[in-house]
Amino acid sequence: MAYDPIFSDAIIFASLLALLSIGLTLTYITTRVPNFAHASFATIGVYVALIVTHVWGLAPYIAIPISFVISGIVAVLLYTFILKPLIRKGASQAIQMIATLAFDLVMIAMLNITADYIVKTYKITSREFSLRSYDIDFMGLPLIVIVAPITIAILAITLHIMLRKTKFGIAMRAATENSDLAGTVGINVKLVYGVSWLLGGGFAGIAGALMSLWFQGDPNLGPQLIPSIFAASIAGGFLSIYGAIAGGILVGLTEVLGTRFLAGEFGAWLIAYRPLIPLIFIVVTLFLAPKGLAGINWSKLRRHGSRI
Amino acid sequence: MVLESETIFIIDLLAIFAIYVIVNISLNMEFGYTGIPNFGKVLAVGAGAFVAAAIPGRIFANIAGIEGDYITNNLLIVSQINLWLVDNVGIGFVVFFLTLGVAAGVGGGVGLLTSYPAIRLRGDYLAITLLAFGESIRIIGNNYTPLVGGTLGVQIPDPLSFLPNELRFPVATIGLVAIAAIVYVYSEKMVRSPLGRMLRAVRDNEMAAEALGKNSNHIRIKIIMVSAALAAIGGALYAFYVGGTIAFAYDRASWTFWPFLMILIGGLANNKGVLIGTLIFVTLRKFIIFFKDSLEGFVPFDVVWLDFLLLGVILLVILLYRPQGIFVEKPTPTISHKGEDNQWNIKKMFNFFFK
Repeated sequence: MAYDPIFSDAIIFASLLALLSIGLTLTYITTRVPNFAHASFATIGVYVALIVTHVWGLAPYIAIPISFVISGIVAVLLYTFILKPLIRKGASQAIQMIATLAFDLVMIAMLNITADYIVKTYKITSREFSLRSYDIDFMGLPLIVIVAPITIAILAITLHIMLRKTKFGIAMRAATENSDLAGTVGINVKLVYGVSWLLGGGFAGIAGALMSLWFQGDPNLGPQLIPSIFAASIAGGFLSIYGAIAGGILVGLTEVLGTRFLAGEFGAWLIAYRPLIPLIFIVVTLFLAPKGLAGINWSKLRRHGSRI
Repeated sequence: MVLESETIFIIDLLAIFAIYVIVNISLNMEFGYTGIPNFGKVLAVGAGAFVAAAIPGRIFANIAGIEGDYITNNLLIVSQINLWLVDNVGIGFVVFFLTLGVAAGVGGGVGLLTSYPAIRLRGDYLAITLLAFGESIRIIGNNYTPLVGGTLGVQIPDPLSFLPNELRFPVATIGLVAIAAIVYVYSEKMVRSPLGRMLRAVRDNEMAAEALGKNSNHIRIKIIMVSAALAAIGGALYAFYVGGTIAFAYDRASWTFWPFLMILIGGLANNKGVLIGTLIFVTLRKFIIFFKDSLEGFVPFDVVWLDFLLLGVILLVILLYRPQGIFVEKPTPTISHKGEDNQWNIKKMFNFFFK
């Protein structure tokens, strides 16, 4: 059987969605505000990759650590200078959400300005560009198809070890479970939250850098991606890192392969409606299993099944 | 008579102001008074605009007996209709108001759909769901061609085409301002009525409101439907004013984010705040667009993004340093406070019961 490129699409998209929803979950469990600017952190990564490859002429994978740092710092700025003061002043959750939307707008404007600047200064395409040609072939496949899932696996395992085995990770879990109690036993809750935002933003940056090697890059990627990321996080329960991984893979695979399957059954006009899939995911998850994959009691379900 | 550019500037500013006042008052009802974070406002506005794009043109074509597919031959058919409307002013107005009615009805339906998650979910989950709902309107509009012509958009017949060109926009603007004034008065009356007080009771302490026998879910459904109907009227009026509908104009920034910005500048739960916030925003944007060409040479990017940057920063500054907006919410007086006897009666009753 010939290898169908749709599987590359599905694997890469699912891995990146998992990475993005891990990041979103990491920030959500600290401040309990859904960050609508999260997808634009990934767009920063896309532009870092563009500059690394086109302007500096380096291998695209060098963009990964750089975009981790830049997106992480931007996320920390959002937390420190906007969300933290708002929380201190007792602003409602809705106001905090609007603040992240405003921050997203500022970021989209900055990204568009960067894109215009790149066009004018270096005379290269900076909208709807693709960096696919910069990738290397590995055993007949583009390297990104292998790198994307491996990156997720490495990051997930690192995060798992950090949260379970290191002192800082345990402090982090304590601070997200009950910040007041964690504060009384001497954990620096603000620092822990800051690190959480750094990791969350950084992971999104990595996802963006990887994404540029397969999908089209554009300054306005964020608004297109955000429903999928939220669908993945909600499907995963929004409070569990492992749920986020499962949700990302589930939503990513369904979006790519499900659209392909339905288009094959009913006709190609269905492809254009692919953005509605995350919406359906959000609605179905919230009404059937509001706590997501992480909230389903699997062992009980299994016992129930065996009884039948 | 040819209009001068300053006059055009002010007329256009007033028209956009009136349309945004309608949408913002409806958002203020939901978010300011009732506390429902409707991040999918664009859904109702878009629904109204889509009704205006899909229905009146087809009705006119039917009455006037113009043949052809409405979407594919849109330009030709609409120009024929506009010629025909010059002699059929009455029918034009009847269909115009009928369309507003249908838009309000469809908006109410959209509101009912929105209220389904809104009474079951709270806070962040609700906001995410509504945001995703709002995205769907653009996707459907862009891809389902019979509705609003897909990515090409459609033209809308102009009921005012009997007027000479230089009178058309001033008259349309006067109409828009009049409708906005009606909506404003309606909203003022509503927030001073028992219903308005109940909205704030549900927002501030839902449990207390329910303990007093108020059905908070019922109130939420009602207010979402009313405000979605108003927003749909706003969307339909905008479509008529600009003379066409194209799906990608109904995005999150223009019809969800800017309205939130405007009501937050002016002050939540405050209709006066809506007016001043909208005026500041619309004027600022008009000036940015007005001076766009003269700025173009100085900055190495499209000036549109400066506009986004500036407005985003303004909103963040307001949220951080003056979260209550320009006008702070005050307790609203009840409607009947003019009759002396009335007050006397209340005083007597108060004394009777509590002293």
